[in-house]
Amino acid sequence: MGQSQMFARPAVLVVEDEPLLRMMAVDLVEDAGFEAIEAANADEAIKILECRSDIRVVFTDIDMPGSMDGLLLAAAVRDRWPPIEIILTSGHVHISEVEVPLGGVFFSKPYDHSALTQTLQSMATIEGH
Amino acid sequence: MAVRGVRRGLESTVTSERDDDTRRLEALALYEIMDTPPEPEFDDIVLLASELCQTPVAMVSLLETERQWFKARIGFDLPETPISQSVCAHALKSTGLLIIPDLTADPRTSENRLVTEPPHIRFYAGAPLIAPDGVTIGTLCVIDSQVRPEGLSLTQKKSLLALARQVVVLLEMRRNSSRKDDLFRRQKRISSEVRAIAASSIAAQEAGGIGTFDIDVATGRMKISAEGCRIFRLPVQDEYPANIIYDFILAEDRHLPSADKTRAEGTALLEAEYRISTPSEGVRWIARRASFHHDSDGRPVRMVGTLQDITEQRAAQARMQAMIELGDVLRDMEDVQQAAFDAAELMARALGASRAGFGMVDPVAETVLMHRDWRAPGVDTLEGLHHFRDYGSFIEDLRRGETVLIGDVTTDPRTRDHCQTLLDIGIRVLVNVPIFDKGQFNLVVFVHYDEPHDWKQREIDFVRSVGDRLQAGIGRLLAEQDQDILNRELSHRLKNTLSIVQAIATQTLRAVPDRGPIESFEKRLQALSSAHDVLIHRNWTGAAISDLVTDTLDRIGMLERAQISGPAIFIGPKATQSVMLLLHELATNAVKYGGLSNGSGKVRVSWDVAGSVDQVQLTFTWKESGGPPVTEPTQRGFGSRLIRMGLLGTGNVDIRYEATGIEVVMRASLSHLQEAG
Repeated sequence: MGQSQMFARPAVLVVEDEPLLRMMAVDLVEDAGFEAIEAANADEAIKILECRSDIRVVFTDIDMPGSMDGLLLAAAVRDRWPPIEIILTSGHVHISEVEVPLGGVFFSKPYDHSALTQTLQSMATIEGH
Repeated sequence: MAVRGVRRGLESTVTSERDDDTRRLEALALYEIMDTPPEPEFDDIVLLASELCQTPVAMVSLLETERQWFKARIGFDLPETPISQSVCAHALKSTGLLIIPDLTADPRTSENRLVTEPPHIRFYAGAPLIAPDGVTIGTLCVIDSQVRPEGLSLTQKKSLLALARQVVVLLEMRRNSSRKDDLFRRQKRISSEVRAIAASSIAAQEAGGIGTFDIDVATGRMKISAEGCRIFRLPVQDEYPANIIYDFILAEDRHLPSADKTRAEGTALLEAEYRISTPSEGVRWIARRASFHHDSDGRPVRMVGTLQDITEQRAAQARMQAMIELGDVLRDMEDVQQAAFDAAELMARALGASRAGFGMVDPVAETVLMHRDWRAPGVDTLEGLHHFRDYGSFIEDLRRGETVLIGDVTTDPRTRDHCQTLLDIGIRVLVNVPIFDKGQFNLVVFVHYDEPHDWKQREIDFVRSVGDRLQAGIGRLLAEQDQDILNRELSHRLKNTLSIVQAIATQTLRAVPDRGPIESFEKRLQALSSAHDVLIHRNWTGAAISDLVTDTLDRIGMLERAQISGPAIFIGPKATQSVMLLLHELATNAVKYGGLSNGSGKVRVSWDVAGSVDQVQLTFTWKESGGPPVTEPTQRGFGSRLIRMGLLGTGNVDIRYEATGIEVVMRASLSHLQEAG
């Protein structure tokens, strides 16, 4: 709205169906210096992506109810918004069983906050160049 | 201290061990058994042992000083191995079974080349062969290429011990009968009673279905015993032309018997097995053993030998073989449909059937969808949907879980009214084995013959036994699949719960300015979660210590600064979780204050086992070096308290604050560490 693009913090879309976990993820994203945008499922995330162009990173849980899980969402993001970075997380699947989309990063739940923060920051830096 | 005590104990037993060696070698020499050719009685025992214990390998292993030699073996290529590679050697000291569920985890065998290199043996069970005077001369052992945490069942243990006693009985019998042979030969040379003895011997042979023959090479005339005539289905008379057997031998086996030329040259096969066709009993298998008698110039003049109808033995062997292969199929199966097809094929081959396969059953519609089937040449497939009621009423028996065996569809009351439908699709004889999943009849395995078949009781037993084992095996597979899904679901829920705990803690402690404790907490949760990952990957059976150490140091990015060494040892699921937390604390401390807190320090992690068979102790050492000088902390936090609790939470921890770095030595009983719960 009134704010200048120059000072806007990069935006991270947090997609997580479990409210407590979403709350924690949002805090983490904000503490890392980003604007956090929340979505409770993949359909909501797609709607947000369709009307916002400032999202740099999608940070999504894999196991979610609804028509799309996190992997399908990641595939859609890779397909429709190729520049957006993808971070996947799950308590269900192991990294060896996940087909992480090109350039995507996977964190097993419960995830390491400092490692995730570093990943977010390096993604935003690379994006900035 | 414990280690030194054990070594001293070993030394004191050296003398008596040497005595045992001598007595064992003497006993083996008396049996005159070493390096003798295979004998069927011993081969049968290893076949039975392997079948009973469901292992690919079974052996009668006899131990000399430098080698173990196998009198009989199945599934193992080498006729002998050096004693250094012998697992059996460990079984000699005991009068009971030695069972090692995981050879890689047992300090006695983890370095054995048969374990570390191909054939990569994993499971061993051996029953000692104890001679009547109490000397153990070797073992009857079974070996698997897969770890078997469950070991052997009580029945298998009892059977293996019983078979081991049987081996000794055979060795004794063999020794006695070879003495008799000597006597017999000497008598033959000096006595006029030769004929009588020979006659009685022939009578004994005939009782056992063995015929004798004596061919005059020059004339081609064959003297043949009455049993010999019966074996070839010839009218009993003293003499026939030797080549008469060519009248009924199968074309593809014609090269196997002797002929005029090969007899004259003395090149005929001395042992041959060939098939003849008989008018009333179909194809029969004949075993013929012979030797040549030569004249003073060394030319063959007579070919004499024995004949035996081995059709039943071959069928029995085929069934036994099928049972053994079925064991493999059931053990290795990952897919119910493949296992059902393989089992059906095994049954069909062993029984000489014309078609076999399986179908998925719809018990409500009473239909069966036949999948691809195994067929003898020229037999049509039954793939596709069939209605049970089109073929008779035997579905009633299948529903009750009974194996259906219809000897002749034209006479059996369950099918005779529908027999033409069955005959049209090439079914004269029918076997159906129902398989149930969660109480529901949903799969049927079948075997068909297109010709009448004269069922022997042994064949019927075989079919039922295959059916029972297939039912049990598939049932087990389905249960395992359910368990696997359940494990994954539990893992998912637990990890989600851990994440929520993490979220609550983060939120609750958000206002606390010191982030240290919350970070420690978060990392401990992750260590616990990692332990869970390692465990779920091994189906909750336990974890290798090296995996836990590597995982921990990798998680903190310090793997390249660690030197990790120790034997491959697995610990149980309960210990895995506590050891993982412990390792996490050690690693965290090292990064914060110790050897890993600067750019150059290192950590050495090592473990080893020592002690007697039933009291093996694991010693685990964490030694840091090159870090800043360390001092004993004045306050004890959660981390150092956890470390002091040790591997099993019961202490036995030595912590030394050396100038060069901290050294932590922990000890615990290996068997406690390996407990499942």
